[in-house]
Amino acid sequence: MSKLGAVVEAVEKHGRFVLEQVKRARSDEKFAQTVTERWNKVKTEIPIAKAPTGLPLPRLALPEIDEPGEIARYLFGDGLPGEFPYLNGAYREMYLEPLREIESFEKNDEAVAARVSRAKKPERPTRPLLQEEPTRLFSGLMLAEDTNKRFHFLSAHQRSKRLSTAFDGPTLYGIDSDADGVFGKIGEGGVAVDTVEDMVRLYDGFELGAPNFSASMTISGPAPIIMAMYIAAAKRRFGVKVVPNLRGTIQADIFKEVQAQNETIFPTEASLRFLCDMIEWTTANMPRWYPVSISGYHIGEAGSTPVQQAAYTLSNGFAYAEMLSARGVPVDQFAPRLSFFLDCGLDVEYIALSRVSRKIWAIGMRDVFGANARGQMFKLHTQTSGRSLIAAEFKNNLTRTAAELMLAYMNGTNSCHSNSADEPFTTPSEEWIRLAAHGQAILLEESGIFKHTMNMLSGSPGMKAVERAVEKAILDEFREIESLGGVLAAVENRYQRSQIQNAAHRYEQQIYDGTRPIVGLNRYRNGADEMPEIELARTPRTKQKLQVERLKKFKKKNAKKSKHALDKLSAVVERGANCFPALLEAVEVCSLGQITGRLQEIVGRFRPMV
Amino acid sequence: MASPIRILTAVPICDGHDSAINTINLEFIRHGIEVVYLGFHRYVGDIVRAAIQEDVAAIGISSYNGGHIDFFADVVSQLKKKGASDIAVFGGGGGTITHDDARQMKRKGVDEIFFAGTSLAEMANYVKKHYGKRKKRRVKSEPDLVLARRLTDLEEAASRGRKHRPSNDVSPARTKHRTSNVIGFTGPGGAGKTTLIDELVLRFLQCQPKTRIAILSHDPSVIGEGALLGDRATMINSQDDRVFMRSMATRGQAGGLSPATESCLALLARSGFDHVIIETVGTGQEALPFRNKLVDQTILVMNPDYGARLQLQKIVMLDVADIVVVNKTDLERAKAALSEIEQRLMQNKRKQEIVATVAKRHRDPGVDELFELIK
Repeated sequence: MSKLGAVVEAVEKHGRFVLEQVKRARSDEKFAQTVTERWNKVKTEIPIAKAPTGLPLPRLALPEIDEPGEIARYLFGDGLPGEFPYLNGAYREMYLEPLREIESFEKNDEAVAARVSRAKKPERPTRPLLQEEPTRLFSGLMLAEDTNKRFHFLSAHQRSKRLSTAFDGPTLYGIDSDADGVFGKIGEGGVAVDTVEDMVRLYDGFELGAPNFSASMTISGPAPIIMAMYIAAAKRRFGVKVVPNLRGTIQADIFKEVQAQNETIFPTEASLRFLCDMIEWTTANMPRWYPVSISGYHIGEAGSTPVQQAAYTLSNGFAYAEMLSARGVPVDQFAPRLSFFLDCGLDVEYIALSRVSRKIWAIGMRDVFGANARGQMFKLHTQTSGRSLIAAEFKNNLTRTAAELMLAYMNGTNSCHSNSADEPFTTPSEEWIRLAAHGQAILLEESGIFKHTMNMLSGSPGMKAVERAVEKAILDEFREIESLGGVLAAVENRYQRSQIQNAAHRYEQQIYDGTRPIVGLNRYRNGADEMPEIELARTPRTKQKLQVERLKKFKKKNAKKSKHALDKLSAVVERGANCFPALLEAVEVCSLGQITGRLQEIVGRFRPMV
Repeated sequence: MASPIRILTAVPICDGHDSAINTINLEFIRHGIEVVYLGFHRYVGDIVRAAIQEDVAAIGISSYNGGHIDFFADVVSQLKKKGASDIAVFGGGGGTITHDDARQMKRKGVDEIFFAGTSLAEMANYVKKHYGKRKKRRVKSEPDLVLARRLTDLEEAASRGRKHRPSNDVSPARTKHRTSNVIGFTGPGGAGKTTLIDELVLRFLQCQPKTRIAILSHDPSVIGEGALLGDRATMINSQDDRVFMRSMATRGQAGGLSPATESCLALLARSGFDHVIIETVGTGQEALPFRNKLVDQTILVMNPDYGARLQLQKIVMLDVADIVVVNKTDLERAKAALSEIEQRLMQNKRKQEIVATVAKRHRDPGVDELFELIK
């Protein structure tokens, strides 16, 4: 049995445990008393927030229950926000406004006043507030200096600088910009990065080691090489001491590439080895870095159902945990550094998909892998669904994204990217990016939905119904994968891939036969199907030429040293040792394509699955 | 009966968006079209070479990652350079290809661009309407073009029902001019034949710098007429100028081959290749696809998961195969499978080799051993 089977058992066992606690609370008076006392204590300690209209509200909303069994079901089965199994949130307060907002309570309301003053001296320390904006905007275009300029534009008004980087096609496939036949792709759909020098330019002007800075890089196939380039660039600018302070995320999720996104360049086992090399090195040397973002987004975008998305993402995560444990990396070293990335579309499952995912992850990590509380937490980035956006009557995409944002924040995501309405045509332009970003600000800052009260929308009967159905369906998927021999065996049997393809095919069919309504496409078409006037972000030829020239210069300058570095890298890979230190040296003098090419000579190329 | 329309579909280099093309491929097949699917992340050169060798009427490209104007234009111009401008180019990219782009692309020789919202049936009907009639091709000296068209003629003749029986002097065994070593690969679906052949091709190309190889690969036609011919997508090493590959649909014939296999094989075997490799579709226990000395060497590729030992008694190919390859020997059952098959072969009392491989593994020593046996 792989660990996935054990996870299924653990989740079922937890379900039974909750039922036992419910029964016990109803039969064992002493236990009932303990449970009720805890509940009342929690309730009385809840501070009061005040809406701008003057309406007082508790900062944490709880169900109106006083029966010990129901209280036990809530505390053990769902958990308070920030408490195991984290169904209601990984943290206590998520997007709430800082506490200072409530200090001007109505003086004549003694009850409220008493509660607030008690709340000021909590008996046990509450979790730190999420002090930064959860907004993330994915960006990458043309050459490094162009993306750099966009980064400065986007983060100009943010307290915290959180940059999210998209790479162009050649970079995603580990190919140099001077390779045959990729010229037109340079800087398209993301930024072109060939060398450490590009990486220096890309984040120029940002303090890479500062606590309010983090970089996120969306790349998986050549991720260990790109990670090494980022570290090398940071060292060039700030010296070697910056390394432990680097904060950010690199996607590096090989499983989802093989299952859905197809951006992988080495055979699966070799890719997994390079990935684990990187995770082992970074979790030991860069304790603030997230070296893998276990991603369902691309699985969802490739056409999976929401349940498939969650099930494959979670099972991929457990598979990484199993591999790292097997290598001897301590669970408390790696588990807190695993992060997740999910898609949020308009299907009803998204009402609770991330909530259930958080619960299953927590139970699995605690009971199967023995992780501590930080390692149990499902740290989630969400992106609204790009696939749900369409070209026809594209302004409707604003509404789609707004609805998806609402769902994402109802699920307590830790950070979120909202798509631009013009995305079906092009790399987003500044006008539509601004609207996408402001959509988040309107939801979180302007509206009162998320800023006064935690649990504002948690726990409705409908949401609970979706939670139960989704949890059961995810566990069924786990069982199926387990019966195929675990995640890696299922991947090699193309199981996840063919399931995703089937779902995608059904989705398309539903659009064509009209059973899946898409406004402006198969419903309420206004007839005039003209493409909007939008400014396309295309990379000019002069820039593409410049990138090729720079790369050629770099290669010429380092011709002698690069051969030596590549030979050294080869030797380490052949020996089976951790290759990440050798990669760190190689990126100083070799281009991305040179390193990829050499590694492919040793481990082979990825053979696509059809 | 007229032959089905053959087209090639692919996704450009540095682009892994294959969701749309997978759905479209299925729709084409439903409409009776034979689709040679090259896969995603494909170079222009690979697409053009494949289109010529497969002698398709058109190339459909699904592009979602930008750079489409250059890419499509490059395909058109390379086709022209090779004398194959009768092969049409069409495609789409959801919303990523604008109407303006499409106009530019058409000026550069692209036939049609489909936009988001086009129904699947619309696309299939377009292909049927425009690519049903083959255009005449000026016979150029490009040998691949000539050979490819002759193979098409043989396939069409076979489809029209003209029998190419061994007695018709086209059986490769009786062809005087036969110059190639012909190796036949067969075995159940999912045993890894395609991957194994591709790994062998890689070794041929690396160890024999002048060797030229032809591959005749088979996939089943689905009920009706269409077929998804997807072996090229898996065979990454075989997309090479020294390899001529042709994907054939069985077009209703049972047993693992197509009605035109014999004649096509005969033609390939006297066309100057050093090795001709033929791969059947996934076969059942009773299959004996290579009769009439169609091939010089037969290789049966098996998976360790064949079931109980008794099942081995029913696999007829075990009696006649020259080499039995047990692939995927990294699976748990491999050890038992190898010894059971070895015992089964001993009953035959003739010289049969057995090789254990893990073809998916780069530089697999088992594949090296097999290569030594056949090279």
